[in-house]
Amino acid sequence: MPPTIVSRRASKPSPTSARRGVCPHCALLCDDVELRPAADGSHAVVANGCRRAAQRYARPAPAAEVHVAGAPTTLEDGIAAAARLLKRARQPLISGLATDVDGTRAAVNLAERCRAVLDHAHGDTLARVARLTQTRGWYATTLSEVRSRADFVLLVDTELGDRYESFARRCLGPRAGLNDDTPRTVGFIGPAGRLPRDAAPDLRLPCRSERVAEALLALLAELRGNPLAATRPAGLARRSLTELAERLRAARYATIVVTPAALGAACEPVLGAVCDIVDELNRDGRAAVLPLGGDDGAQSAVSTCTWLTGFPLRIGFGEVISYEPQAYAGTALLASGAADALVWIDAFGNCPEPPPGCPADRTIVLGATPSNLAGTCAVHITVGTPGIDHFARLVRTDAVVTLALPQQRDSGLPSIAGVLTRIAEKL
Amino acid sequence: MLTRLKGGRLYDPENGVDGEVRDLYIRSGRIVAAPADPAEANEVIDVSGRVVMAGAIDIHTHIGGGKVNIARAMLPEDHLGDRVGGRRHPHAGCGHAAPATRTAGYRYAEMGYVACFEPAMLPANARQAHLEMADTPMVDKGAYVLLGNDDFFLRALADKRDPDYLRDYVAWTLGAAQALAVKVVNPGGINAFKFNQRKLDLDENNCHYGVTPRDVLLALADAVRGLGLAHPLHIHGCNLGVPGNLATTLDTIQALDGLRAHLTHVQFHSYGTEGDRKFSSGAAPIAEMINAHDNVSLDVGQIMFGRTVTESGDSMRQFAGSAFASPKKWVGMDIECDAGCGVVPFHYRDRNFVNALQWAIGLELFLLVDDPWRIFLTTDHPNGAPFTSYPHLIRLLMDRSFRRDMLATINPDAAAASTLGSLDREYSLYEIAIMTRAAPARSLGLKGFGSLGVGARAHITVYKDDADREKMFTCPEYVFKDGQVIVRDGRVVKEVHGATHAVHPEFDRVIERDLDQYFDRYMTVSKDNLRIADDEIRDDGRGELVLHATVARP
Repeated sequence: MPPTIVSRRASKPSPTSARRGVCPHCALLCDDVELRPAADGSHAVVANGCRRAAQRYARPAPAAEVHVAGAPTTLEDGIAAAARLLKRARQPLISGLATDVDGTRAAVNLAERCRAVLDHAHGDTLARVARLTQTRGWYATTLSEVRSRADFVLLVDTELGDRYESFARRCLGPRAGLNDDTPRTVGFIGPAGRLPRDAAPDLRLPCRSERVAEALLALLAELRGNPLAATRPAGLARRSLTELAERLRAARYATIVVTPAALGAACEPVLGAVCDIVDELNRDGRAAVLPLGGDDGAQSAVSTCTWLTGFPLRIGFGEVISYEPQAYAGTALLASGAADALVWIDAFGNCPEPPPGCPADRTIVLGATPSNLAGTCAVHITVGTPGIDHFARLVRTDAVVTLALPQQRDSGLPSIAGVLTRIAEKL
Repeated sequence: MLTRLKGGRLYDPENGVDGEVRDLYIRSGRIVAAPADPAEANEVIDVSGRVVMAGAIDIHTHIGGGKVNIARAMLPEDHLGDRVGGRRHPHAGCGHAAPATRTAGYRYAEMGYVACFEPAMLPANARQAHLEMADTPMVDKGAYVLLGNDDFFLRALADKRDPDYLRDYVAWTLGAAQALAVKVVNPGGINAFKFNQRKLDLDENNCHYGVTPRDVLLALADAVRGLGLAHPLHIHGCNLGVPGNLATTLDTIQALDGLRAHLTHVQFHSYGTEGDRKFSSGAAPIAEMINAHDNVSLDVGQIMFGRTVTESGDSMRQFAGSAFASPKKWVGMDIECDAGCGVVPFHYRDRNFVNALQWAIGLELFLLVDDPWRIFLTTDHPNGAPFTSYPHLIRLLMDRSFRRDMLATINPDAAAASTLGSLDREYSLYEIAIMTRAAPARSLGLKGFGSLGVGARAHITVYKDDADREKMFTCPEYVFKDGQVIVRDGRVVKEVHGATHAVHPEFDRVIERDLDQYFDRYMTVSKDNLRIADDEIRDDGRGELVLHATVARP
């Protein structure tokens, strides 16, 4: 008996019935969200959502508009104009790259064709995380391991409120008893303003963001049994650090959660210290890090680019592929004028504005939301959102699970993959 | 269109043809019978004096999936010295040990390979593995799904569920993951590592579930037998890399008690503890045991000297091996109550006693196992070495004096501790054709592959005969895939996509009810979202799904 073929399209929208979907609006890719479609193409989230999902799903389908030099035109004209612009460009940049696996495949092919540099809107964070795996590596874990195995979870200066609200519901609630029924406990280290609202940590170490790395190094010293000079490292009472160290040591499976994007430039020292702590714990016990990130298709873009080219973004195509995680920062290339044409991709509608630097008449925007840029930039094409307007595959935050998201509405909006492939064909 | 390959010397063990000069005829992608009049051929390609074999098949190569991609991302230094531009290949790429998907596909084709099989696909990561394989052009592909460390299976085994239940679960997983076969890695050990168990021998209990690797192996091997899969259970055994693991390997073969099984990268499981350094070759007793047990096949996992990266689902053993990482970095993971992985860059050095002896042990296995139908040529790419070293390995097997010259360059204590210098065997072209073509095709149940007989798919490699077998196998003059010339003089001339091979064995749907509950309760993806639809593989005509029939056995 062959498995049933899963349709690429969700069942016919009915105005009254709710159905389960896979949410593309952050990299957790919650696949239990329940949606009720409305006539304008928007969806009401009726269960298992979060504020972010509710807001994004409430957007009606935008009109399928194409503008060239501010004037409305056809998709065919928009594609031709984009191809002409890229043909003339000396050093194009394809960035934003907020798209799905197929969109990234098409972007890599287009970049190869027009010798463009490839980056992502969240390229700075991606480069910091990549650098960590390229210099020391880590011991990581995934969402289901946290949900069902982790008996102590330490949140390190995490931003779970706005971005990953559902993480608490899915991974920090009571354990369902896969292995044992001992309750899970949660610790938090960081500023009180970042305390997650749905998971009340029972161990809190309040600490300003800029001192989190210092606190972690003190924790590491505590775990290693090294003497600590400071009486109040990072402003924390020594006994709270000792208690945290004891909790981590006592856990059968400890998980430390970080949200690298929220750490900014502190990402490397904080994440580095977290990885050192995990390594220390793994000498005699078990622990792992769970970095949460990769929104707006960032994880899909990194994973896909890595398997297709060998490198995790910030690549350029010449005779061979070059990988320059510093020099190929999209923002820097635009600011310096080194990039003389820009393809800005925003299929999730969260990064509508490209960074400054590229003249409007050399900017191509493929965006999922109506934008003022349509009136000024060289080419503006309204595109569909992956998993809403077309079938899509997206890689989840842990870089392990990839989900297939069926189309949810008939908007007629083109996909990034479709548009980029047609541009490349004209080059 | 009828094409005649004229005058080649054919090595086609599937049909018992050993170096006979014969013409081959190709029509519509298949090998067809000779017409009454050879002049009927529209095209004649003169391959007189050339060695002609079927397209080669790699039965065990890590070409796609999470751990492969981790290796790519963490090793820019591996790629920067080995970049290929868009002039050399249809698409630019790079990578020595952890190549980009496209580069891997092109390089395989350039060596005469037409099919490659990813041996460690996690159900949780299967969709990504298939996306990567879809982006690996030129070759057909397929994957073995990893079972035996997932909490669902171990719970069921601990609960003493009946064999039918386990078989249904294995069948559901094969179909959901679009896999061709089943693999087990460190049976129960990856799971045990999550409970902080650091070692697990064949008859030791997983500290949480109270089941042993022996229990896991037998349950899975029996399920695979019962489902009627062509390829038997693919086993990466306990204690990989541990000195003394030779005893575990011998015990594993005996534990199978006649059940069919494939033991993979056996070189890493053939170590004794003799000598001053407590590290010695176990190749001889293992080869002897394998020679006496025709229910078992193996691939070697030969190591080669140089830099590479080890990528394995065996998080327990990779954690131990991470102490030897070169350069000093590694990534480990626990994955989705499913399995785990460890990615450790490594440098095998010919002056290092242990590495040199590992090299010798692999070659001893090749030379001591009698039946080439049961031993396959692998380096466990990239764990022993990148697959691009196969031509060098073939020369080591076919050329005794070259082998002895190489033996003289390695760590002298290792050379002295090995029997390699006394082994005279040289593989023939016929035997190479068995171990790289006919035997893997049979083992995987790939009809029409590994054969030059009438009706076979026209996957053909044509080599210029050269006493330097490394040179010969590096650069085929022609590679045909489905009758089309895809490689000429070692260069890709036509990019093709290749199909995906899978099985969808039947099962009792009752298992899905339990799985639904299990996934809803413990996992962060629903059961139905884990499953990969046929259309995803077909991908609007970009891919092709070849489903192989299975016949259940009581």
